[in-house]
Amino acid sequence: MISWVTVAIVGALVGLDSTAFPQAMFSRPLVAGTLGGLAFGRPLEGLIVGTALEIFALIILPVGAARYPEAGTGAVAAAAAWVEAAGHGPATALLLLAVVFGLAWERIAGFSVILLRRENERLVARDAREPPGAGDVERRHLGAMAIDLLRGALIALVGALVGGLLLRVLGPFWHLGAPTAEGLLAIAATGMVAAALPLFGGFRDRRVVFVAGLLCGSLLLLLV
Amino acid sequence: MFLRSFAIQGSWNYRTLLGAGLAFALLPALRRLYGNDSARLDAAVRRHSGIFNSHPYLSPMAVGALAELEEEGEDAAVIERFKAAIRGSLGTLGDRLIWAGWRPVCLLFAIALVLLQVRWWVVVAVFLVVYNAGHLLLRIWAYHLGLTRGRGVGEQLRRSWVPQLQRIMSVVGAFLLGLVLPLLATGHLTGHRLALPWVVVAALAAVLGARFGESVRRPIGLALAGFALVGLLLKLVI
Repeated sequence: MISWVTVAIVGALVGLDSTAFPQAMFSRPLVAGTLGGLAFGRPLEGLIVGTALEIFALIILPVGAARYPEAGTGAVAAAAAWVEAAGHGPATALLLLAVVFGLAWERIAGFSVILLRRENERLVARDAREPPGAGDVERRHLGAMAIDLLRGALIALVGALVGGLLLRVLGPFWHLGAPTAEGLLAIAATGMVAAALPLFGGFRDRRVVFVAGLLCGSLLLLLV
Repeated sequence: MFLRSFAIQGSWNYRTLLGAGLAFALLPALRRLYGNDSARLDAAVRRHSGIFNSHPYLSPMAVGALAELEEEGEDAAVIERFKAAIRGSLGTLGDRLIWAGWRPVCLLFAIALVLLQVRWWVVVAVFLVVYNAGHLLLRIWAYHLGLTRGRGVGEQLRRSWVPQLQRIMSVVGAFLLGLVLPLLATGHLTGHRLALPWVVVAALAAVLGARFGESVRRPIGLALAGFALVGLLLKLVI
C-alpha cells in the first residue's frame, strides 16, 4: 500500500515538474523511472526502464504549443509496473513489454496534458473582455497547478496498476526468449539515440566529433 | 518575483500561453507599485495576463525588465510593444540553448553513465546537479539582465555569449552521441552482450536514425510494439 501511495506522490511531483513547476528535470524518464522503481525498493530496475524511455524521449522538444507525449509520468508507471510484475515471465521480456507499455501510456498522459491546458484556458483566460483581477489571477494560477498535481498522481497510479496487471498476465506468454527481447531493445534504442544527431547539427556538420565519439565508445567496449 | 518565475508555466493554456503566469510572477512588483490603488493594480494585472510566451528559463528576464518598465511608469502601449518584441526571441533562444542543447547533452552524459554501469544514485545525482547548475545560472543571469537593462535586453541578448555556447553544446552533444552508440548496439542497456547479427541490425538502425532524425520515433515505437505482440502471440499459435 505504501508503495502505491509513493507512486502517486512521485507521479504528482513529476507531473508538476514537467511543465508547471519548477522544471528541474526530475520529470525526465531517466529520473522519474528511477523514482518509480524506488517506490517498490528497486531503483536500479527503475533506472533501466527509465533510460530506455529516456532514449525515446530525447528528441521530443516541448517547443511553443506543440503536443507531445508526457514521458515522465509514463516512466513512473512503466517502472513501477515492471518491478511489481517481476517473476511473472523472463525479466528482459517483461522489460520490453514495460517499455512498450510506457510508450503507450505516455500518449495517454500527453492527452491528459491537453485536457488540462484547455481547462486552464477556462480557468485563467476564459473571458478576454473581463479577465480576472490581482487576487483572482493568483488563486486561479495556483488552482491550475493543484489540478496538475492531481493529474500527475492519477496518471502515474492508474498507469502503474494497469501496467502491472498487463505485465503479470502477458509476461508468461512471451515466446521468443530473453536474447530476442534484448536484441529488439538494443536495435530500437540505437536507432532512437542516433535520431538525435540532427539536434546537434547532423552528420555532415559534426562528422569529425561524431566519429571521434564512436571511436571512444568502441574503445570503452574493450574496457567494460 | 524570481522565485515566482519558476511557476510561470503553472497555468499554461492555448489562448494566452504564459499570460496568467507572467501576471502571477509580476504581482509582487505590481502590488508594491499600486498597492493602495486596487483599480490600477487590477488594470496592470489584466494588461499582463494577455498572451505571452517565452522559454521558462529565460522568462525571469522578461519579468525583471517588465518590473523595471512598470516602476519607471512607462506607457501601457510601450510595455505591450516591448512584450511582443521579446517573446519571440526569448522562446527561440531558450529552445535552442536548453531543449536542443544543454538538456540532451546532460541526458546523453547520464545515459553513458548508465551504460557504463555507474551506481544508480550517482547517475541521478550527477544529472540533476549538473543540469540544474546550468539551469539556475541561466535563470539568475536572465533575471539580473532584465532588472539592470530593462528595455535594452533585446540588444544585450544579441551581443551575449549564447550563440557560442549553442555551438559548443552541439559539438559536445555529437561526441557523446557517438560515444553511447557502440555501447547501446552491443547490449549494455540490459547488461548482456549481444550476438553479432543483432549488433549489425542495431548499426543499421543507427544509420537510419541519423539519416531521418525525429521522424523515426513513431516507426521504431510501432515496430517494437509489433514485435512484442508477435512474441506474445506465438505462444498461442505454436
